[in-house]
Amino acid sequence: MSHTVLIAGAWISAGLTIFLFSFLYKDNPFFKIAEHLYLGAGMGWWCQIYFGVLQEKVWTPLTHHEWLVLLPALLGLSLITQFIPKISWLSRYGFTFLMGYGSGLAIPAGLATDFINQIGGTIQPFANLAGMTAFTLFNSVLMAVGVICVLIYFFFSLEHKGAIKKVSNVGIYFLMIYFGAAFGNTVMARFSLLYGRFDSLYTFSGKQYLYATQVILIAMVTYFILHGFLTRNKADQDEEAA
Amino acid sequence: MIKHKVFLTLFLSLSAVCGLFAAKPAPAAKKAASLPPAAVLGGVTAADMPYDVGGAVLLRWAVNPSDTPATTYTVYASSLQAGGWVEAESFASTAKTGKDIDLPFWAWDGSASEHAVKIELTNFFGEIKDGDVFHFKVAALENGKLVAESLPLDASTTSNWFRLDRLNNVVMLLLVTIVFFWAVSHAKRKGLFIRRIAGLDAIDEAIGRATEMGKPIYYVPGIGDMTMVSTIASTFILGEVAKKVAQYDTTIKVPHYNPVVMTVSKEVVKQAFLEAGRPDSFREDINQFISSDQFSYAASVDGMISREKPAACFFMGYFMAESLLLAEVGATTGAIQIAGTDSESQLPFFFTACDYTLIGEELYAAGAYLSKDPMLQSALKAQDFGKLVVMISVALGVILTAVGALMKWGAFTQTIADLFKAY
Repeated sequence: MSHTVLIAGAWISAGLTIFLFSFLYKDNPFFKIAEHLYLGAGMGWWCQIYFGVLQEKVWTPLTHHEWLVLLPALLGLSLITQFIPKISWLSRYGFTFLMGYGSGLAIPAGLATDFINQIGGTIQPFANLAGMTAFTLFNSVLMAVGVICVLIYFFFSLEHKGAIKKVSNVGIYFLMIYFGAAFGNTVMARFSLLYGRFDSLYTFSGKQYLYATQVILIAMVTYFILHGFLTRNKADQDEEAA
Repeated sequence: MIKHKVFLTLFLSLSAVCGLFAAKPAPAAKKAASLPPAAVLGGVTAADMPYDVGGAVLLRWAVNPSDTPATTYTVYASSLQAGGWVEAESFASTAKTGKDIDLPFWAWDGSASEHAVKIELTNFFGEIKDGDVFHFKVAALENGKLVAESLPLDASTTSNWFRLDRLNNVVMLLLVTIVFFWAVSHAKRKGLFIRRIAGLDAIDEAIGRATEMGKPIYYVPGIGDMTMVSTIASTFILGEVAKKVAQYDTTIKVPHYNPVVMTVSKEVVKQAFLEAGRPDSFREDINQFISSDQFSYAASVDGMISREKPAACFFMGYFMAESLLLAEVGATTGAIQIAGTDSESQLPFFFTACDYTLIGEELYAAGAYLSKDPMLQSALKAQDFGKLVVMISVALGVILTAVGALMKWGAFTQTIADLFKAY
């Protein structure tokens, strides 16, 4: 890769990062540029993926005389008939198949993981009761109690009042503890992404990249200051005219 | 004549010398000859592993009572007629008995008096087809020395149509289905009770606020596809929200990530406007396709929300990392926000940035609660039945397993474990 291309890449990368971050201040033309560019690039990327799928999953098998692929291909193409009102009813075949196929896949998997495995996983530690320490026993009992309390919170056939309400409130505490842990975990992951961007900005602030980060940042701040003054003057004039 | 005799003598002498050398055994061959020949390991069978997707073979043979702790078994597999043996499994003589096969009691009668070894052929030979024949042999070793070896056995694998090991899953599914149909008939005749769900009552408030302020409502159905339960539930809620929007003559915008969801949502909104008696108010651009790229979708919807400053934002469906990006921007515009998702990792973000949040199952229940549709209510009842089964099973299972473990009833605790194993 030539040095010029590398510098151009650094300027684009630093520029787009700062443009997107500028939204934290307020909506502005720089953010709009980055937003629309991102949108277009994202769709362009997915378009080539989808066309790639057509070639790989339909065209290549057809050239090998695998005619059965025509069936799913036609069902898939039927979805596009939505754009032609006269034959849009054809899309129902595709949608129906999609829904049936999705349910067929989801129901057994959901039943196994959310239902039977949940029960099995909760009671399984008690099979080794003799070998349990006081802490593991407490942990297992806590889990079992937590499962029952949370399920009572999500039980919609009973009005939550009296004892049911109390148990359900305990369920909410279990949920909130979980959500707190999940929140911390996800925030940590997001921070690592943020560090990644900051690291890139720091790298692009070097001499070899012609101080891309600083130049773009200063240019944007100057724009915001000038824009602020100009719009304030204009607003003052409007007020006077009024 | 003398010349011939000389040649004959030389030839005989050479033959004698060669014979002498030939008769003398090599040191290695001598050592091998001193070992007793390996016995034949009898009673080994190889057959397709039952109740699987194919690609695995089960080898069985009786446990030898004379095996010592130093005895090990090695199973070899080959895809070739002759040679090409690959070591597939090696284990101590006390391991890998019929009890160790991971199948429930109703599908497998395992005994500790036999060795049963499952060989996953795909681990060694890559992708294989039903009916491909493979060859196996089992070797018994004592301190690393071969003492017995089975004759080569042939076996092929098949994918099974019915998995008997998942019988418990089928029974549970049938039970839930029966309850569902009972609930449908009950709901149609008498109606079903569903408790009040906090957050849903706020929908009217949010739409009313938008009407008063003359600002639009944003309904974001998430990034799930139409096969996801949360997206299906979201379309039901969208129908109810759209109906109220049509009644109040407010503006609603539904930005989409998935084109299939957009098509379904378009029909749902159109139907809602029709039911509200306002088909003329329906516009094709209520549902807009934005992007199938997660973050460009989020960036674009953020831009739309920050520019239009809606009065209310609904985030219902499946969300991932874009949840906070969307909800935070909505919060900064001062919109009343109601969210609902079954994506547990994103719920905390909605809690922090939204006014009301539907947690997991509440999202599924919301459609039934709002529409009062007997089918949806029945589905909710069937789910409640499932939860009841889980609660009772956990409570009883814990008690029975603990009692079984204390009393050392191994078979009893194993039976309970088998009943609640998804395989």
